[in-house]
Amino acid sequence: MQERQLYYQVLNFGMIVSSALMIWKGLMVITGSESPIVVVLSGSMEPAFHRGDLLFLTNRVEDPIRVGEIVVFRIEGREIPIVHRVLKIHEKQNGHIKFLTKGDNNAVDDRGLYKQGQHWLEKKDVVGRARGFVPYIGIVTILMNDYPKFKYAVLFLLGLFVLVHRE
Amino acid sequence: MDSAVAEASKTAVAAAAAQGGRTGGGGGSSGAGSGSSCGTGSSRSGLLDKWKIDDKPVKTDKWDGSAVKNSLDDSAKKVLLEKYKYVQNFGLTDGHLTLCTISCFFAIVALIWDYMHPFPESKPVLALCVISYFVMMGILTIYTSYKEKSILLVAHGKDPTGMGPDDIWQLSSSLKRFDDKYTLKLTFISGRTKQQREAEFTKSIAKFFDHSGTLVMDAYEPEISRLHDSLATERKIK
Repeated sequence: MQERQLYYQVLNFGMIVSSALMIWKGLMVITGSESPIVVVLSGSMEPAFHRGDLLFLTNRVEDPIRVGEIVVFRIEGREIPIVHRVLKIHEKQNGHIKFLTKGDNNAVDDRGLYKQGQHWLEKKDVVGRARGFVPYIGIVTILMNDYPKFKYAVLFLLGLFVLVHRE
Repeated sequence: MDSAVAEASKTAVAAAAAQGGRTGGGGGSSGAGSGSSCGTGSSRSGLLDKWKIDDKPVKTDKWDGSAVKNSLDDSAKKVLLEKYKYVQNFGLTDGHLTLCTISCFFAIVALIWDYMHPFPESKPVLALCVISYFVMMGILTIYTSYKEKSILLVAHGKDPTGMGPDDIWQLSSSLKRFDDKYTLKLTFISGRTKQQREAEFTKSIAKFFDHSGTLVMDAYEPEISRLHDSLATERKIK
């Protein structure tokens, strides 16, 4: 009987984690982007986006990338996506494009950030296009990143609370 | 940042889901057919202690509605199982656990598949898993609302003659939020005649708890026995 109760509480916890996971994966499927929600980490896009803003992305194949649009891309070999604006595009007849980006608040374009020898970005590097944003909420993520102990403490407390509290 | 973002979003969603999950799990939790706990409520002495059978008098936070209901429910289960020596039937609980396990299984499959085949290729499998998961959640909610309802315990009483099917006793209770009236309902389904009879009482929880929050079994047990006997004697007359 005890084992059942314990298994029940563990399952409860598992269900909550699974729900969060499924919502995230569901968003991934719906938007077509690997990372449908990102946080702006630097001030390179001010005054459009500030550090700590939360962005919602979509990555539909049909949307063409045009100059002046804001894209979120990932440079090969780097984990962190970058949010910048498209500056120049070279487009072939078959739809294959190469583009150059620059942050609004930066003095120079992003060539310095790209991989050694890479001068242009391609469609495959794009994580998504910003479709909506919520200001300031992402500061929590930045805090949790800067102070990993805070993150583990929050997750631990949440887990403990769900496992122990029996409603 | 990507993983940090993912985790942050998951935490935020988990916090939100925890609110919803808890109330959903709460309905099922009080329906979990396990008569093992008397040490619930504010006693923070270890995880497993909370679910051990306890002969010490139960002390709960008298202002916490759910803790009070839990302790009343557990004591009622304990009385039925120990005093009358009925055998607990775990059918409903097992059904609930199975549904939850299948849902978690879909989630795990999605997680592993996505890890093995990075995103764009895993899209169809992910879509399938997500939809299945939410369908399972729907089934679970229907199961909890209609099949389990507020049933705490299903127990079997052996037929005195030794032959024939068992009698079934079902215990269910309700205590509204911020209300002090606790309703306990006992249903008896005869094994032989398949007739169903119920008896219930609604009393204020103040009748069963003393001012420090301890459940007074001397006041509570006779109520349960009265319900039980009223159903059992009818059977003998008929």
